[in-house]
Amino acid sequence: MSKDLLAEAIRALRDSEQTSEFEARATRTRVLTGLHQTRVRRRTRLAFLLPLAASFVAVSAWGAASGQARLVLDKLERFVGVTPSTTIGARVPAPRRLAAPPVLSAPSPEPAGLAPSQKAEPLPATPTAVPAASSVRVTSSASSSSGRAERADPTLALYRVAHAAHFVDRDPARALAAWDAYLAAAPSGAFAPEARYNRALSLVRLGRKQEARNALEPFANGAYGGYRRAEASALLEHIEP
Amino acid sequence: MTIVGLTMVTEQALANDVELADELVLRLQRAEPAAVAEVYDAHHAAVRAFAKRLLGDAASAEDLVHEVFVSLPAAVRKFRGDSALRTFLISIAVNHARHHVRAAQRRRRALSAYGETKSPESSDPEREARRRELAELLTRALDTLPIDQRVAFVLCEVEERSSREAAQIVGAPEATLRTRLFHAKKKLRLALETEGVR
Repeated sequence: MSKDLLAEAIRALRDSEQTSEFEARATRTRVLTGLHQTRVRRRTRLAFLLPLAASFVAVSAWGAASGQARLVLDKLERFVGVTPSTTIGARVPAPRRLAAPPVLSAPSPEPAGLAPSQKAEPLPATPTAVPAASSVRVTSSASSSSGRAERADPTLALYRVAHAAHFVDRDPARALAAWDAYLAAAPSGAFAPEARYNRALSLVRLGRKQEARNALEPFANGAYGGYRRAEASALLEHIEP
Repeated sequence: MTIVGLTMVTEQALANDVELADELVLRLQRAEPAAVAEVYDAHHAAVRAFAKRLLGDAASAEDLVHEVFVSLPAAVRKFRGDSALRTFLISIAVNHARHHVRAAQRRRRALSAYGETKSPESSDPEREARRRELAELLTRALDTLPIDQRVAFVLCEVEERSSREAAQIVGAPEATLRTRLFHAKKKLRLALETEGVR
């Protein structure tokens, strides 16, 4: 009996619907209006977000190309208090320039056969630190911008001292001590890869072959990408074990 | 026309239908209002009927229908074409039904507290009254069921869908659906007897 009753109730429920055409049309209008509003909201979001995203990409690209991104990241690391990694392969140096770096053309510091194509590294010089060598050209704008850079990064002064000892005075013992001082102060600083390479050259000049090999091997192994890779490999071939 | 010719014409027509359906789905994915309107015109009656039977309340059913078609452009990205579009729409309704069921229950309780019921005119008032009473009784009994059993009962018993199709709609194995249906019917029979309708 209850089965019949359930069946009867099911039939009653099935037959009880009375679709109102007015309600159906009203819901249709609501649906289409809702969709339209969703589209408008999406377009509005895009209109705001696209220019923002484009600006972000452009600024990032400019920062990466001009080297400003590295400076900003270093500042940020110092500000946040993150200790930069001191491992050799932690950072692969990207091509970079400080703001209008002065052009240096120091004489090749390597004995023939030991340094195939060594060039002086960029030096963030200030007028007081520039030696009287006629080969060094420093423009006033460059010096002011490098001064700004030095204020931003005090370790650049240490780099400049090491650079002078290495390329101008050509005193390997003093240069080695100066490179060590710079690297102790800024183990992952803006010029850490250059400093490490020059330190290796100082070790070569001092005849400390095993230490020189240890210092050059990361470059030859590509720990710094392509930076000084070929030169380091050539030097390693010439250094007797 | 030969049988072979007739078969070819039928196959051609089916291929055209599939192509049109694919194109419609693509337009839905692009959230084209015209495509949604097209689907609404073709399927709103089925979705509304299911919503009303499931919820037992016209206003909540309209809200559910609205929600189904508004969410269609986003939901249709999951549509693989392995079921009919109407079946897919019903499955969207099932997924959105939970809070509408609760809203319909609240509305029903409020109306019953005020004794407010609509009674449309009928040629056979006595029969109509009996039908309405049974329908309302079954709807109230459905309120006591868990949502899964309620959906299974409406799909299989009220809408008379096969358990295979119903399982496809709710995304559950057929055996699970049949179990839900068994328990739902058992509880509903008991509820109707308790109410004393003879």
